[in-house]
Amino acid sequence: MEEEKQLSGEESLQLITTMLQKAKGGFHEKGTSAILWGSVVAIAGLVSFAELYWDFSIRFDIWIIVLAAIVPQIFISIKESRERKARSYDGAYLSAIWTVYGISMFALMFYVNIMPSATQRILTAFGTEWFSKNLRTGELTPLEPYVVGRSSIFLILFSIPTLTTGMATRFKPMIIGSLLCYGFFVISCFVINTYDMLLLALAGIFNWLIPGIILRRRYLKGKCANV
Amino acid sequence: MFKELDPILHSQLRLAVMSLLIGVKEAEFTFIKEKTNATAGNLSVQIQKLKDAGYIEVGKQFKDNYPLTTCKITPKGIDAFENYVKDLQQYLQVGKQ
Repeated sequence: MEEEKQLSGEESLQLITTMLQKAKGGFHEKGTSAILWGSVVAIAGLVSFAELYWDFSIRFDIWIIVLAAIVPQIFISIKESRERKARSYDGAYLSAIWTVYGISMFALMFYVNIMPSATQRILTAFGTEWFSKNLRTGELTPLEPYVVGRSSIFLILFSIPTLTTGMATRFKPMIIGSLLCYGFFVISCFVINTYDMLLLALAGIFNWLIPGIILRRRYLKGKCANV
Repeated sequence: MFKELDPILHSQLRLAVMSLLIGVKEAEFTFIKEKTNATAGNLSVQIQKLKDAGYIEVGKQFKDNYPLTTCKITPKGIDAFENYVKDLQQYLQVGKQ
C-alpha cells in the first residue's frame, strides 16, 4: 500500500469498507475449547447414566474428568492468546461471559458438594434429623440432605453462555444447541436422576461438541483456503 | 459548502490503519501489516503520524523475548474518523448534484 497516495471520495469509502471487512474476517474461532468441554461432559454424563441404568460402578466419580479438563483448557487458552494478533470488541465481551460462566460453574459445583454436609451440621446443631417415610409401610429411614434437581440447574447454566455467544455471533448451531439444552432442562424436571445424566450428556453433545466440530471444520477450511 | 477532508486521514495507508482499528479493540503491528500489505518501514512512519495526531495509542512490550507493538484507536481518533466519514458523505453528495 502506498504511503501518501491521495484518494478520491469513492476510493476512500471503498478502502474503509474493505478494511472493515478485513478486520471482521481476521477472527476465526477454532472450536478447540468447545470440543474439549463437549466431549468431557458427554463422556461423564454417558458413563454416569450407564452406571445408574445398568447398576454397576467404575469405582470413581467420573465427573472428576470435568475438573481434570481445566489443565488442557489452560494450555489451549495460553496458546490461543499467543496466536491472537488482534482483539475484537465482541471477543472481549464473549471472553468475559465465558469467564463468568466458568466461575459460576465452579461455584455451583462447590455448592452442590458442600450443601449436604453443611445442612447436616446445621441439623445436628439444632438437634434435628431428616427422615424419609414410606407411605405404604410407614417405615422411617434417615435422609441425608441433598440438593434437589441439581442437574436441572446445571442445564440452565450450560445454556446461558452458549445462547449468548450464538446470538452475538449469529452462529446457528450454538443457538439450536442451547435451545435444546433448555428443552433438556424442562425434561429434567420430570424424570429421575438416571435420565438426568443422559440429558447432561446430550447437552454436552448438542451445546458444545457439535458446534465445536462445525467451528473446527470451518477454521480448517479457512486455513486451507489461505495457503 | 463542504469541509476540507482531514489531511491526516485522507491518505491511503493511514485511512486503512484507522479503518482497521475502528473495528477492533486493539491490534498488533503484524496484524495491521498483514491486512494492509504495507512494508514495515512505511507502516511505522504512518503509525507514528497517527500517534502524533493523538488518533491512536501505541503500546510497546515484550512477548517471548520479542518486541511487540500494539495499536489502539483513541476517543479523539474515533471522533476524527466519524467526522471524516460524514465529510466524505457530504463531499460525495455535493459531487452527485
